[in-house]
Amino acid sequence: MKNMKKILCVILSLAMLAGTLSACVSQYVSKETTPAPTQAPPATQPPATGGDATQGETPAPTEEVSIAGTTLDVWYAVSGTSGELFTAQSEKFAKEFDVKLNLSYTGGSGDTATKVAAAQLNDTAPDVALMYAGPLYTGGKDNYDIDALIKTGSGFDINDVFEGMMDYCVYMGQGYCAVPYGISTQVLYYNKDLLKNAGVDMTNPPKTWDEFKTLLKDLKGKVGGNMVFDTSDQAWLFKSMLMQNGCEIIDNKDGEITPIFNNAQAVAVADFWHSLVTDGLMAAGEHGNAESTFLSGNLAFIAASSNRISRWNGTTTFELGAIEMPYFTQPSLALGGNVLVILTRDEAKVRAAWKYLCYLTNVENNTAFALGTGYLPIHKSALEMDSVKKAIEENEMYGVAFKQLDYTWAYTHFEQMGTMDTEIRSMLNKLEKNRGTSEELLTSAVNALQKEIDADK
Amino acid sequence: MKGKKIKNTTNLDRHYVAFAFLMICAVIMLFPFVWMILSSFKTTMDVYQYPPRWIPSVWNGDNYAKVFEMIPFLRYYWNSILTTVVMTALQIGISILAAYSLVHLRWPGQAVMAAIMRSSMFVPMVVTMIPMYLLVSSLGLVDTYAGIILPQITTAFTTFLLMSYFASIPQDMIDAAKLDGCGPFRIMTRVVIPNTKGAIATASMFSFLGNWKSYTWPLIITNDKMYRTLPIGLRYLQQESSMEYQVMMAAAVMTILPVLIVFVFFEKQLVRSITLTGMKS
Repeated sequence: MKNMKKILCVILSLAMLAGTLSACVSQYVSKETTPAPTQAPPATQPPATGGDATQGETPAPTEEVSIAGTTLDVWYAVSGTSGELFTAQSEKFAKEFDVKLNLSYTGGSGDTATKVAAAQLNDTAPDVALMYAGPLYTGGKDNYDIDALIKTGSGFDINDVFEGMMDYCVYMGQGYCAVPYGISTQVLYYNKDLLKNAGVDMTNPPKTWDEFKTLLKDLKGKVGGNMVFDTSDQAWLFKSMLMQNGCEIIDNKDGEITPIFNNAQAVAVADFWHSLVTDGLMAAGEHGNAESTFLSGNLAFIAASSNRISRWNGTTTFELGAIEMPYFTQPSLALGGNVLVILTRDEAKVRAAWKYLCYLTNVENNTAFALGTGYLPIHKSALEMDSVKKAIEENEMYGVAFKQLDYTWAYTHFEQMGTMDTEIRSMLNKLEKNRGTSEELLTSAVNALQKEIDADK
Repeated sequence: MKGKKIKNTTNLDRHYVAFAFLMICAVIMLFPFVWMILSSFKTTMDVYQYPPRWIPSVWNGDNYAKVFEMIPFLRYYWNSILTTVVMTALQIGISILAAYSLVHLRWPGQAVMAAIMRSSMFVPMVVTMIPMYLLVSSLGLVDTYAGIILPQITTAFTTFLLMSYFASIPQDMIDAAKLDGCGPFRIMTRVVIPNTKGAIATASMFSFLGNWKSYTWPLIITNDKMYRTLPIGLRYLQQESSMEYQVMMAAAVMTILPVLIVFVFFEKQLVRSITLTGMKS
């Protein structure tokens, strides 16, 4: 019996090994017969005067210096399809400009931050990084090379970039120290089938949170016990809602950051949030499961990143729709995502790195990346491109996400912004579980954040 | 005679109940494993379907191929095996020496050293990560196997696990070996180690599992794909903030293979060491 068990285990192991090897073989076979799942963006000629020269709108640099032969170490925090498309574009740049890129995936946003922070301490940081909260590692180290490079007008047409996205590249209200790439905002997705079966008409979608809540109550009465709304990132949504109600979250006076999300407008938002739970429209403390619940067809609405548009499209068992996010007094949505930063201070490398950033963020490449991954295009002119119009025609959700670009915003980066998100998440969790009033919990969160800001001075 | 028959039947009934209970437990334990294998053949739609779909609508082997397309899986596999085996061997070797010296030898500062070691178990790795990186980086060990392995070859947990077993060896046996002319090293190799094989196997397995799934340190200390390990590859398969579970599952099925083999080899010692844990010498 014992021998039989071991034989079975060995057979199982061998079967798995065979599966591994057969997958290797099929990989080589499939590479010869089928295209890769994600293709590099359409070929572009090397710009003669900078990354965006093909558009004919950017001013030419005063001096063109060859970057051929330069080696750049690049760390990036995007994986899956986004990682594949990013590396494909990067490799194409390397080939076209005869630059050597040492591309290295560095894990999630937290992992990459740890890695970059450690590497900066002993000058082993990469030359370029694609990461979350990038300005903390450039502007935070008094590195505003990107600001100077943008001002030269070579290769990066700032006038064509959405204002909110450039705000996302600022540290403590000072100059630009990053370039947007892989940016997203939240979109309100919904299960068309579920709403259709409940007889809810979405031809005139709700515009404000009050209208949306009325719709949710109506829906709740029809679908019974199921929760009808949730979000996968509560801090992100809450910050958008604060701005929509006139609360600017932080006050930045000459680099002096003061959290202000406990004023009357913020309390009103928190009260509204609490009412969603008490009215049985949103589950308390279940945001981590929100996406799975939605994808399994048990949630009518979810506020989630716009980069789900391409990921979810065609993979759900129900028809997926999206509408613009509701608002309180004014439409407003916080941006999130990654930015490109130049960490090297070596002049020749900075030159090559800037060319690389301009290449990745030129209208064609950035739009191809956006449509391939679901992130948002950073250029206003991208919305006039045929590929974008076609994408919107084929998938109306792109239209919704791109329309929201008109009212997106970002607050300046500051060292304790991670703590702020943690405090907001914790505050909402307590609020949803009735562990205090909105005012008490908001004030407690603001005080905790202020304490850390003061301690770091 | 009649009474005995009745008693046997009752025992048999009891066994059936016990078997049924154990069978249910076994099914519960096996469930994630079976679910993982089935999910590795599913499509995205199947994965998110509700009510959950047990059997894939189409047996989709592409998930396995996709793993190889997205990451250099075999390279990562080799790196994981190499670093894990070397790390485990060194951890166990060092832990045996440390545990033996702390239990069976007497030297100045022994108690203080034991206390320091014990307290080091309560320091989270994230606290030591950046100083460790600075040290290893200054030694020029970034992007090397040595950089991955060397900082992780000492573990207080394994040492204390072995100490508790070494302490259970009767002093009479040690004294008898001394009378036979054995020095400390021979006592360790001829008396202590042979009598604690089960404990060493258990410690080896814990070490192996811990090293096999080590993620943060290999990620921090390597930039080159040539030195990356499987957990980093698995992380890459995740989309940011969401997952293609079926591809993750395909990779996970292939990843657990060495763990399964290690368990097959160490199962007997592991079970024996656990069953003997409560026995007095």
